Amino acid sequence: MASTLRVSAHLALRGLQRGNRFTTVLTVLIIALVFIMLCFQPSLNAGIISAVNNQIIDYSFGNIVVEPKEHQVYIDHAAGLKKKIDRIPGVVASTPEYKLGATYTFKDTQYSGPLYAIDPSDARPVLRTHTKMLSGEFLSDGDRGQIVLGAILAGNKDQKLDKVKALRGAQVGDTVDVAYSNGVVRSYRVKGIYATDSLSADMSAVITREEAESVTGLSDKASLILIRLSPSVDENAFKTTLMQYGVQEPVKTWSEEAGAFMTDTAKTFEALNAIMTIFYLLFASIVVFIVVYINTTNKRKQIAIMKAIGIKREIIINDYLIQVLVLCGIGIILGLMLFLLQTQAMTANPVRFPSMGVVTPVVSLSLITSGILDLLVVSFIAGYIPAWTTTREEILDGMRG
Amino acid sequence: MILCEDLSKIYTLGAVQVHALRDVSLTIEKGEFIGIMGSSGSGKSTLLHMLGLLDHPSRGSITLAGTDVGTLTEDERTLFRLNNLGYVFQDYALISELSVLENVCLPCLVRGTPRGECIPASTEILSSVGLGDRINHLYHELSGGQQQRVSIARALVNKPRILFADEPCANLDSETSRNILELFRQLNQELKQTIVMVSHEPWHTEYFDRVITLRDGEVVAS
Repeated sequence: MASTLRVSAHLALRGLQRGNRFTTVLTVLIIALVFIMLCFQPSLNAGIISAVNNQIIDYSFGNIVVEPKEHQVYIDHAAGLKKKIDRIPGVVASTPEYKLGATYTFKDTQYSGPLYAIDPSDARPVLRTHTKMLSGEFLSDGDRGQIVLGAILAGNKDQKLDKVKALRGAQVGDTVDVAYSNGVVRSYRVKGIYATDSLSADMSAVITREEAESVTGLSDKASLILIRLSPSVDENAFKTTLMQYGVQEPVKTWSEEAGAFMTDTAKTFEALNAIMTIFYLLFASIVVFIVVYINTTNKRKQIAIMKAIGIKREIIINDYLIQVLVLCGIGIILGLMLFLLQTQAMTANPVRFPSMGVVTPVVSLSLITSGILDLLVVSFIAGYIPAWTTTREEILDGMRG
Repeated sequence: MILCEDLSKIYTLGAVQVHALRDVSLTIEKGEFIGIMGSSGSGKSTLLHMLGLLDHPSRGSITLAGTDVGTLTEDERTLFRLNNLGYVFQDYALISELSVLENVCLPCLVRGTPRGECIPASTEILSSVGLGDRINHLYHELSGGQQQRVSIARALVNKPRILFADEPCANLDSETSRNILELFRQLNQELKQTIVMVSHEPWHTEYFDRVITLRDGEVVAS
């Protein structure tokens, strides 16, 4: 077996050395290109999913969300519960929040959407909205009569630039009227405008909890308590920890709170990856098949001679398989180098996607490993079939060409 | 050494059956230099292909060096060819990507002989056929006669019991042909190498120990 493989390897090496250089280089380049495509598309999709996930964590929910008990609209004793949560190991910070329905009016434009009420100093370590100010300032503790608007909600003076029908260019210093669901209408000075690139965050506005409680008459309650965890803490495991520390309210991770939309998005990208992977592998297999088919067809006579002088089919098939695997290996190495260079370039110069923000490819070892294995397996099969078929031919038929 | 009985080969071309060989029976002794001769289409190459295990007869039996080759599987036939038979083809049939030495070494390596033994053995044979100074050349750097010598060296490297040659001089000029035939004669006389050679040139008969003449697939003289 070892001597058989040695002979095959020797023949393969000479075939590559003295064969058609143009075909060799072209095959390597195509394999490299396919490898890049195999890795790039999923890594970019993973980057998009990661960007969207981070947006949800940073601008909407934090890592963990505590909800009101069943059949209740609000969490009671929010301040006490927050203190209890803040003492649990692994918690960076938590913040109670009201989520209210509101109709915004600016000049003659109206828009209905969510309004969040927070304690600014509590919210800062949990959410990162305050770091994304487009103009003006974020809220401070005790602010009354002031509001910060998301960039999409604030809108543009030129309506053609608006993604949704919004407030047509409300700016810092302008006054926006907010009508609450209990019938109260308040006028607020716009203190700042933020742009997070998160569609849901940028279509809402934020006031202080003090302001909200003065409108709703609520006290020490919350629609949700958002919790920021240390990066090392497992979110799902932390749900159990919360229960152990006596938190009786329902608890969800950010992905559970985001609901089916996130799961569906991830599944959509997975399906897209699978379809593209099949397409690229099919492309690679066709190329390898054609290269080996043409190679073996051109060498029918040579193969017949080899069989005539007593060389086993196995040796001849292995000769072509080794050639394919060497070309594939070189193509993969070249492709990997180009892919990593491309990834580095994209990380250094990230691409900003609309409504997603900055997206950089996410490279994982499993992605690269599966790309390598997929390509090797497909090339092996695509190389084996024509080699096997040609070597089955009768010796005299092959010698006559 | 070579015994064949009632050997027939029938090719079916559509509805027509062509009898390339008809009940050929012959015996070739060890150490003989046999010429198979006949006009074009007489069946001489077909007979060589049957005897050399490159094709299967439609009927009849062949015994080579005591082995009834009709009972061998395809893999066993390949192994039998490797270990017992050598071939020299009309168009030299060298492997284009291999050097002269590598072409000659190949059957030796396939047989499992260590590289350290194959290379000196191949070099020695190449020297004996006058190509000792051409071992690292590629086939297209050699003349037709030199290529045929490489082909002969390759056929001999595993010390075959029988050497088959299918019109080895067909593409060579008279002088080169004579050199090749001299080489065969020398191998036959000095090494007692059994050689079966197909030819249609009458002047080649002076080199053969015996001539088997075919006409329309039948042996008419032997």
